[in-house]
Amino acid sequence: MFRILRAFAWMRWRVLLNSVERTGARDTLERLSLAVEQIGPLIALALLAPSVVGLAGLGGYAGYGLAMGGPVMTFEALRFLLFAACGFAVVGPLLLPSMEPTALVRLLLLPIPRRTLYAAQTAGGLSEPWVIISLPIVLSIPVGLAIGGAWLAATVSLLAALALVLCLVGLSTLSTLLLHLVVRDRRRGELLALLFIVLVPAIALMPGLVMSSPGRAAGPESPAGPAKTEHRRRSPTPTPAWVARTAGVARALVPSELFVRVTRSSARHEADGAVVPLFVLGTSGAVLHALGMLTFARLLGSPSAGAPRRPASRAGPASVRLPFLSRASAAVAQAQLRLVIRTPRGRSILLSPFVVFVLFAIVMQRQGRMELGVLDLTSGLNLATFGAAVCLLAVLPFAMNQFAIDRSGLTLALLSPLATRELLAGKAVGNGLIAAGPAILVVLVAFVLFPGGSPALWLSLPPAIVATYLLAAPGAATLSTLFPRTVDLNSVGRGSNPHGVANLLGLLVFLTAGLPSVLIVVVTAGLVHLPSLTPILMLAWCGVALFLSRLLFKGVAVLFDKRRENVGMVAS
Amino acid sequence: METRGLTRDFGSLRAVDGIDLVVPAGSFFGFLGPNGAGKSTTIKCLTGLLRPSAGSMRILGIDPQADPVSVKRRIGVVPEDLALFERLSAPETLFFVAEVHGLDRAIARDRAADLLDLMDLKTAGTTLVADFSHGMRKKLSLAAALLPAPKLLFLDEPFEGIDAVASRQIKDLLHSFVTRGGTIFLTSHILEIVERLSTHIGVIAGGRLVAQGPIAELRAGADASPAKPRNAGDASSLEELFISLVGGDQRAPVALDWL
Repeated sequence: MFRILRAFAWMRWRVLLNSVERTGARDTLERLSLAVEQIGPLIALALLAPSVVGLAGLGGYAGYGLAMGGPVMTFEALRFLLFAACGFAVVGPLLLPSMEPTALVRLLLLPIPRRTLYAAQTAGGLSEPWVIISLPIVLSIPVGLAIGGAWLAATVSLLAALALVLCLVGLSTLSTLLLHLVVRDRRRGELLALLFIVLVPAIALMPGLVMSSPGRAAGPESPAGPAKTEHRRRSPTPTPAWVARTAGVARALVPSELFVRVTRSSARHEADGAVVPLFVLGTSGAVLHALGMLTFARLLGSPSAGAPRRPASRAGPASVRLPFLSRASAAVAQAQLRLVIRTPRGRSILLSPFVVFVLFAIVMQRQGRMELGVLDLTSGLNLATFGAAVCLLAVLPFAMNQFAIDRSGLTLALLSPLATRELLAGKAVGNGLIAAGPAILVVLVAFVLFPGGSPALWLSLPPAIVATYLLAAPGAATLSTLFPRTVDLNSVGRGSNPHGVANLLGLLVFLTAGLPSVLIVVVTAGLVHLPSLTPILMLAWCGVALFLSRLLFKGVAVLFDKRRENVGMVAS
Repeated sequence: METRGLTRDFGSLRAVDGIDLVVPAGSFFGFLGPNGAGKSTTIKCLTGLLRPSAGSMRILGIDPQADPVSVKRRIGVVPEDLALFERLSAPETLFFVAEVHGLDRAIARDRAADLLDLMDLKTAGTTLVADFSHGMRKKLSLAAALLPAPKLLFLDEPFEGIDAVASRQIKDLLHSFVTRGGTIFLTSHILEIVERLSTHIGVIAGGRLVAQGPIAELRAGADASPAKPRNAGDASSLEELFISLVGGDQRAPVALDWL
């Protein structure tokens, strides 16, 4: 068994080295692109070593403090870190999938007992960042206790530390295995991914909703607004008792909390307080690994699931005529739209902005206004502008990697009699439609819910959005050409993200493209106080943006022709 | 189709080394070579997926580097990676191909129905390519290549992973395509298929074209060659001819005594 585990460790090490040493880059730009991709993890790795040493020092100090009955602030801070690590052990595998879907099939062909395979899978969990962060903390606390002279407490805490590590690895392994069990069926996996992507922002905003007071005594622009709003802000709705009770019990059963109770009780010589949580912690570890083994056996039994055939539609594929576009470009745009509608990442692009918008609208409805840093959403117009901006930015994962997301479909496009300008136009229109759908909905809903404000400014919003996109589209095509990245649009984490450089620069491109529209509004409505001028100037700017966009796309076409080979090879 | 000194380098590796290929119109050209010999790279250069490092090409009388779109209107390709959008169904894939080729919609619909029927893909319905088996993908890729009724077909390993029934149907289809004046440029490791279908072959090894011409002529040439090893069989089968051309018969036999 030891030889097999050693072989697995060697294999992982070799894969890591090969990913750094043998990139397969074909030219300088690709080398740069790949180097940038590698820099992030390498910096994280470099930062991890001092962090581990620092955390070990803090752990030792916290343990020593507990033994000497000193201040427990460090211990409480580490407690929070361990709590977070437990959370990451569950959620982390979803965000940073570490196991190849095909790996299990390959492993099944090897003459290795299933228990050993599970041990290898579990051992791999030790290299997860949340485990690496937790290890020095939990192992140095007993050392600190021992230095402080609390030998018995140190021994008990060490046992709890080992049980906690067992639990962390068990949680991480179980989460990974469950994820792979679910995503064996592509559609089930996609549903899970979509739920995850849409629910995360919703959950993140929930505290804001729960804390906001009910009722809408004052409208968005009520004269009594400020005083009442301030009063409401200071009297949050109390959490129901049963929720607090359940949350308390659940929190007490989190492995890191059990470890804390064991360590604290043993340092205070309270045997009763230490034995029960230690037993629960050990049992939790055993149960997690038993469940892990069962899930692993299930996964090995059927590593992939077939998808049922769906009947043919009698009508055949729907063809949509898009004005000002050739049939070839329209076909490219439609393929892009279908890709979005049929992948979890794509659906999230369509749904997430709307979910965020609805949540913000509810908060505005309840509170009358909403402050988010520099944003002060007091009117429907502001909410619509914010929602439309979110819709434009949501398209970044697709727009900034618009060619490589097609994978081998891009080869089909490159083999087809498509002029480069037709391909670029189709992609730009496709991405534009992806952003336009939710943006139109958001603006309409905002107008219906909060119709106040200058009609001229409302009229200026659609051309402003169009002008921003028109200017940003050539930038998006350029970055997609320069920094293509092979992605899996089923992935909910970084696996579906565009290249880091493209993503960052893309954000800047979109923000810069929106600046002229903002300036027009600031000058006409803010400085010269002639809001009726805004829609006229905005329409004129829209025309200029169209002209500039067409001009810029000519340059992009030349660039794409030079890079098409690289883009095609990266994509497929 | 004609190439002159076609060369393609990947860094220091010369994958295709100055090949002069002549594929007569109306021929079924089998392009053979050992693994890594440069077959797929050659096809990629000919179809415009890779830019040649040196040399020139003419396909159906057009220079593909000067006018790639015109060439692509006239050719069909089943490449190594099959070139399919994962999130389209079979009818949608054919619809995409028809649209980018500018086919009349009614004609495209009829042709798509025929091809889906022939490839046994009608039952696939609205199932996405992502859920297709390898064989189904291959059949769909072939259907997509045939839909615009090209004059020249490039097929990179078209029979790999295809069941016997479909394989027979496709062979018959390709045979009738050539009979009607079409040209096929095919790579395959299944020499029996190449032998049965091809009128001409070209053999590439180490990036260099070591032989090309009508099969019968090459066989006769190989049998008459003074360089032919004494222990070599006659070149009556394509396998013997291929092995002798790529130097496979010069290799010392390896006996795995431990096996």
